[in-house]
Amino acid sequence: MKKLLFGAVLLIALVFAMPLVLSDFGINLATEIYIMAIFAMSLGLIMGYAGMVSLGHAGFFGIGAYTVAVIGQHVANTYLLLLLAVVISGLIALVTGVVFIRTSKFYFLMITLAFGQLLYVLFWQLKTWTGGADGMSVSAVMNFGFGEIVSPNGLYYVMGLAFVISYFLLHLFVESPAGRITRGVMENEARMSALGHNVRAYKLLVYTLSGSLAGLAGALYAYFNVFVSPDLSSWMFSGQVMVMAIIGGVGTLLGPALGASIFIYLQNFMSTYTERWPMIMGVLLVALVLAGKGGLIHWLQHGRRLLVSRKRTGEAVSQQPVKKGEAVH
Amino acid sequence: MSAILAQLLTGVAYGMLYFMIAAGLTIILGVMNVVNLAHGTLFMLGAYIAFTFINDELSFWISLLLAVFLTAVLGLVLEKWLIKPVYGKELEQVLLTFGLSFIIADTVEWIWGTEMHTLPTPDLLSGSLSIGSTEFPVYRLFVVLVGCLLAWLLWYLETKTRIGAIIRAGVDDRAMVSALGVNVGLVFTGVFAFGAALAGLSGVLGGPLIGMYTGMDNEILVTSLIVVVIGGLGSWKGSFIGAIAVGVIETFGKVWFPSLSMLIVFLIMMMVLIVRPQGLFGREVV
Repeated sequence: MKKLLFGAVLLIALVFAMPLVLSDFGINLATEIYIMAIFAMSLGLIMGYAGMVSLGHAGFFGIGAYTVAVIGQHVANTYLLLLLAVVISGLIALVTGVVFIRTSKFYFLMITLAFGQLLYVLFWQLKTWTGGADGMSVSAVMNFGFGEIVSPNGLYYVMGLAFVISYFLLHLFVESPAGRITRGVMENEARMSALGHNVRAYKLLVYTLSGSLAGLAGALYAYFNVFVSPDLSSWMFSGQVMVMAIIGGVGTLLGPALGASIFIYLQNFMSTYTERWPMIMGVLLVALVLAGKGGLIHWLQHGRRLLVSRKRTGEAVSQQPVKKGEAVH
Repeated sequence: MSAILAQLLTGVAYGMLYFMIAAGLTIILGVMNVVNLAHGTLFMLGAYIAFTFINDELSFWISLLLAVFLTAVLGLVLEKWLIKPVYGKELEQVLLTFGLSFIIADTVEWIWGTEMHTLPTPDLLSGSLSIGSTEFPVYRLFVVLVGCLLAWLLWYLETKTRIGAIIRAGVDDRAMVSALGVNVGLVFTGVFAFGAALAGLSGVLGGPLIGMYTGMDNEILVTSLIVVVIGGLGSWKGSFIGAIAVGVIETFGKVWFPSLSMLIVFLIMMMVLIVRPQGLFGREVV
């Protein structure tokens, strides 16, 4: 608990202190990073804590974004819109999840991919509501009851706060009995089942949670970007968030968030030089696999463990990073 | 009535196209346990390669052969250099083939640009056949014929030849087959190249039907994944039935509910999964 409190203070202080040193461009970038960090954490949750690898997570992101864009034309209340985004994406995750979680491994991956791409096509084809391929601008403005939030700094603080809150909520879930059972299911489904736990219910719970969190990220993105398009649900975007989660390190909460920040930074940096971003991402992915040693956060943990073990020699290194080959179930 | 018959033929022709690409996907999946997410991109690449040769005044058939050959060679190279190190590591395979699909798709965009192209229908197969009051485009009949031939060939290879026996045995017990002196690595390379060749073949044959554009690789990949899921993992017979079903449903869906055809196909996949989570012809445990 003490550690958690310390972490909380540190994280909040970091979020609040950043604008002091960042340029305008940097603040904008950091705002986007917070949103993507929430998105990456939502995928990291099912990948790293439940062993479910989804390639359609951008579908939920798109649902959240379009909720704000479409319903926001008629409803102005920000609380209501964010709630709707979370509830709608959560409900869709719940309904589809009932079928998806009956499958495993490749099947789950392929079905989620098809699901995400289906939403992409739907957003594309429901032209009357979504503007089709041209996308639509977002008319809703963020307002929590004390004035409209439109300035870059204002948006920065909102997204920063949303990130911190999401992180601690996820932390609470992961450390809760339900979270521990979910992790047990990932390690050994048959054993948890034999212990009398309803394995499917826990899988469905965590999938629904993850979907609604991705929806929240999408809704925040709609406010941030003031424009949404079907690309928000494309499988390319699903793949990007998977890359974020993996380069950061799956199996921890902050790993995917870290990965998101590196990814977004790299993307912005690269796109000033070349428009061949998909190719760079592809090469990055292939290189990542061939170098293949967990994510960045595991390297950090490994480094810290090395330091610690040097201080107290002979102490066994107990905590192993998640073996990536076992992450797909 | 005749309109419905013509639609049905179109649906079956699309279905055969889906079968050709899904067969490659499912053979690689069934034999090697690799999900090749770059499969749709190989389909696209096949079509674009043939497009270049046809623009160089080569005939459709020679371009077809060259495109199939080149995609097979690419499949061989990919398997040797990149896929081989990640056998048995599912997440790595997914990431790797996902990355490859980006690289190949972006290369295609780089070389051929983003505008739409179509492959010309070969002269021999242009025109249509009228049976009663219904007009059937010859090319679509031809695609159906090729699909049926491929299904027969796969059945023959699997059940009547030594290579089929080796592959069937390899799926069940790789170590045992290896111990019997069969070079399993070579068989796997061959299977992957064969799958890539099938993707290239269906890409060229699909060129005159569905055209070529950026993003086609994603569409075809998703459709073939749905086909594989409906049919059952690793079962090409399931792919055959699933592909025809998807092709026909999609074609009629496009006529009756233009913007929702994809949704209908997806809902059917969901329904199949509710009843049989392993797909129509899938094995019990995957």
